[in-house]
Amino acid sequence: MSALASLRTMRRPAWLGPFVALLVVYTIFAIITPEHSFLRSQIFLTMARQSVVLAICALGMTLVIVTGGIDLSTGSLVALTTVVVAKMLKGGSSPVVAVATAVAVATAVGAFVGVCVGRFRLMPFVVTLGTMAVLRGSAIGLASEQKIDCDPRGLDHLLEASLSAPGIWIALALAALVAIVLGYTRFGRHVFAVGSNEAAARLCGIDAGRVKILVYAISSLLAGIAGVMEFSTLTVGDPTDSVGLELDVIAAVVIGGAPLAGGEGSVLGSVFGALLIIVIRTGAVHMGMPSWVQYIVTGVIIFVAVAVDSARRRRTRS
Amino acid sequence: MNALVVSAIEKSFGPVDVLRGVDLEVHGSEVHAVLGENGAGKSTLMRIVLGLEHADRGTMTVGGKPYAPRNPADARRAGVVMVPQERTLCPHLDVIENIVLGIEPSGPLGVLREKDAVAVATRALALVAGEGRIPIRARAGAMSVADQQLVEIARALAQGGESARVLVLDEPTASLGKSDADRLFERVRALKESGLAVVLVTHFLGDVRDHADRYTVLRDGKVQGSGDPKTAPPEQIVHEMLGRELESVRGEADAAKGGAGYRGEAPGGGAETLLELRTVAGVAKPRAASLTLKRGEILGIAGLVGSGRTELLRAILGLDRVKSGEVVVTAPRGMGLLSEDRGGEGLMLGRSIAENIALSPRGPLFVNPSHTRADGARWISELSVRSSGPDQRVGDLSGGNQQKVQIARLLREDFDVLLVDEPTRGIDVASKAQVLDLLRELAGKGKGIILVSSQLDELVSTCDRIAVLRRGELSASRPATEWDEEKLLLEAAS
Amino acid sequence: MKMRALGAVVTFSILGGLLLGCPKDSSKPAPGTDGEGGAAPSNGRIKIAVIPKGTTHEFWKSVHAGAVKASREVDVDIVWKGPLKEDDLKAQVDVVSTFVAQGVSGIVLAPLNDTALRAPVKQAAQAKIPVVVFDSDLQGDDHVSFVATDNVAAGKLAGDHVSKLLNDKGNVVVLRYQEGSASTQNREKGFLDAVKAKPGLKVVSDNQYGGATTESAFAKGESLLLAQKAETGAVNGIFTPNESTTFGMLLALRKSNMHKKMKFVGFDASDKLVGALKEGDVDGLVVQNPFNMGYLAVKTMADHLRGKKVDKRIDTGARLVTKDNLEDPAVKEVMQPDLKKWLGE
Repeated sequence: MSALASLRTMRRPAWLGPFVALLVVYTIFAIITPEHSFLRSQIFLTMARQSVVLAICALGMTLVIVTGGIDLSTGSLVALTTVVVAKMLKGGSSPVVAVATAVAVATAVGAFVGVCVGRFRLMPFVVTLGTMAVLRGSAIGLASEQKIDCDPRGLDHLLEASLSAPGIWIALALAALVAIVLGYTRFGRHVFAVGSNEAAARLCGIDAGRVKILVYAISSLLAGIAGVMEFSTLTVGDPTDSVGLELDVIAAVVIGGAPLAGGEGSVLGSVFGALLIIVIRTGAVHMGMPSWVQYIVTGVIIFVAVAVDSARRRRTRS
Repeated sequence: MNALVVSAIEKSFGPVDVLRGVDLEVHGSEVHAVLGENGAGKSTLMRIVLGLEHADRGTMTVGGKPYAPRNPADARRAGVVMVPQERTLCPHLDVIENIVLGIEPSGPLGVLREKDAVAVATRALALVAGEGRIPIRARAGAMSVADQQLVEIARALAQGGESARVLVLDEPTASLGKSDADRLFERVRALKESGLAVVLVTHFLGDVRDHADRYTVLRDGKVQGSGDPKTAPPEQIVHEMLGRELESVRGEADAAKGGAGYRGEAPGGGAETLLELRTVAGVAKPRAASLTLKRGEILGIAGLVGSGRTELLRAILGLDRVKSGEVVVTAPRGMGLLSEDRGGEGLMLGRSIAENIALSPRGPLFVNPSHTRADGARWISELSVRSSGPDQRVGDLSGGNQQKVQIARLLREDFDVLLVDEPTRGIDVASKAQVLDLLRELAGKGKGIILVSSQLDELVSTCDRIAVLRRGELSASRPATEWDEEKLLLEAAS
Repeated sequence: MKMRALGAVVTFSILGGLLLGCPKDSSKPAPGTDGEGGAAPSNGRIKIAVIPKGTTHEFWKSVHAGAVKASREVDVDIVWKGPLKEDDLKAQVDVVSTFVAQGVSGIVLAPLNDTALRAPVKQAAQAKIPVVVFDSDLQGDDHVSFVATDNVAAGKLAGDHVSKLLNDKGNVVVLRYQEGSASTQNREKGFLDAVKAKPGLKVVSDNQYGGATTESAFAKGESLLLAQKAETGAVNGIFTPNESTTFGMLLALRKSNMHKKMKFVGFDASDKLVGALKEGDVDGLVVQNPFNMGYLAVKTMADHLRGKKVDKRIDTGARLVTKDNLEDPAVKEVMQPDLKKWLGE
């Protein structure tokens, strides 16, 4: 009994809600798909593969949202990365150089956004709204308004629906790494502090601007890695790719229990949020649901997630 | 030995001399109260001690060594820490995380050493709250204000580390109830006995008498008096704080009343009652407030910071939830609030005067901009708002004129009851008089006004009756002629 | 406690699914109506996934109707599922791989890109799921058949019509669509081949690209007409290879008041273009047959699954529409297929 009581006084882990939601939705699909084909291992691996890009982006977005910020440029950045990788490969660079360059470009973009937000105190929404358009334009211009066709030189095997594909493991490793950084380092603690009460953080000698620069740089670095994964799926550089991806990413993070006001969020929750979105998407294909049903179901789940979360908050407060 | 010595500190902001040669000596193992009215220079002095401002002239020593902090981190290194008046915890972090914020013990790659953090935090908590008083894994946001206050003190001590010798507490009990305040002072006494020098910045004379070993009064940037609060009579301290001779204060007040058409007595019992409160209590404050407001009178409410003045007005208007008691509004044309926070909720600083005045929940579906402008122009001349015209941005006006725009909006709505919160804050002396005259004039025209102000002279000179709010409890009102500033301060601060 | 029990059950079922790989075949029949259901075809019924490039354009509705017609004729189930967003490459890749993982009998696919879809199609081939490609071609030879308009032939149709209208002599202009778009390049090639076969016809410009949108095609068309001094009668015939270039060029001609002064043959049809055809501003439109495309693609897949031999390349035909034959029943069927009958809308 005392164990139960201590459980109750403990903070409920933020990822529990999205985890339960994931299980419920998954179970529903498993039951209603005829022959229960939803339980096939191949479906698992396919969903895992499809989740990789969304989940990696959600890792970075979690950091950003915990500081109370937002990043709307994720989709454009992923598209730009696929274009840079394809262009470099086409120009004869080795895959390692191409990937390193693309990720470096992405990180530089993030650092720029971070400086605007952290040092010049501009609104992240506006800064990244601008970055979103600039990056999309740059990607289309760099690709001369078409998809760039190139020999993927093995990068296409980075991400496949198979346990031997490195992409899925890289995503898991990144998730673990970001979770450790957020939960067990000084920097992670400062990320929460800045999002929770920036004035207090400054009072305690924390350089809030520096924290934000790092957060946006890391977030964009992760988006760059996600872009490499996206290229692995597409095998072409597609400047019109991932339009609106950032909204899915934000949805995943919000479903994962991070309020946009900042101060809260968990990596595990965001990953479950991303998986939930992919399960709905895959389930909809299985059931032959038209796209509009899919949109509505995803939207309703966001509503429910936020409503349940705020109800829980009100209960613990009173 | 003297823990902190401040000698001949001077500081001016532009043409305004805020500190004019202040000396202060704080010993180890003592609680030293710094008293003074708003604007006396207390906060500037504390900001200099903490390294947030730099003195123009003068020197300081800490523990006998020269001390000239460039920033709070310097001050912290020298062992000087402060708990500011406003709450500065991160609500989402737990107690330990808050206490070690910015000084997290960590190993290579910044990986946190949780055990060390717990040790640092528990040590600091044990000093301020005793073992086990505060659950170390509770979220700051879910804790009571009193507990948050203790955590803040613990954080200040933890961040001062082993060398913490001077602790500045700025209005620590402003938002606490009596029992919580007593508990806090118990801990402060324990800290003092461990050798710490505590500087207590406060308004509460009662706290000073009960818990301080010495006091220093600041007025107009100078030390006006100091001594042992247990032997000094409270009247003397109040006198040092207010400074003016009783007679001259009375004279000024009478002159102001006369000038504003003050009738010298409360309206007769026959006047119509507009508003009645029956033991109203809000969620936190007020705790118990009863009053009656009649047509044609100004009811003043005096109280210290944190006594629940603004909360009382908000509860009357229904902006905050009323937990118990009754607000009976008999005013036929309702009530309006003049907010103390002009920029935050009182006005749309970026919009024109006319638009601000015309802002109303009522009115036609479509608005004609030229009507709005004409209406604005009429009010501008009515209240002699100094402006370039109805299209001028309110943000560009002086404080006094902004205040008139707020009043114009309330008058345009033709409310019977005006709830006026700190109408003279941040405006110059001439405008102050104009605003107060305007209030008197409106009362003369049949409005009922509740005036909240921390300027005691203003209350005495403007109001018909005055009630005192202390820790959320409102006393019965008495005619303004029975009050003077010293009596008000004694009543509010005891 | 309840919660935990539920969690345990679900976790076990997930783990079970993972470990067993595939649940044992159940004898329970799957619902057999098209457009729903998602099971592996364990009960012997053939189930074909049809994946268009998008779902909202009229073109794809006609394809859908044709596919439904074929599914009823040859008695198979189809699942119609486009990418979540119109023309979203990544989404299409995901839809294909989901169907592969699900294990449908066959996949009929209109690839959004001729290389990006290669990997998922290869994956399907490895999983023994045959793929029929339609509308646009795909690199590699992992697919069973390619069912589409023969664009070279369709372009030739336009070329022959222009020659006929100009009596085999005059100056001709082509406003191309976009670099790297295989289908329109073939149309342009077919047109140019047909025109160059006539010694009296001279191609004065064939290196301008109208770009992806009507606006860009309009701007390009306008400057092209100016550059070729079309107002002096220096241009006699014009060809545009798709809907956006045709409409853009039409606007350019109207704006500079040169419509009806030259022979203009375009590609694809829309209400506006058909209106222009009736008014005589456009002299001919080559239209594809999307209904037939959907029909033949599904039929080919069904034939393949039932062991019949199918051709590697199947032409779904194109048709020249002019003012005169607009009312022909055969043309009408292509231009306005009876969507209601097949899609029930």
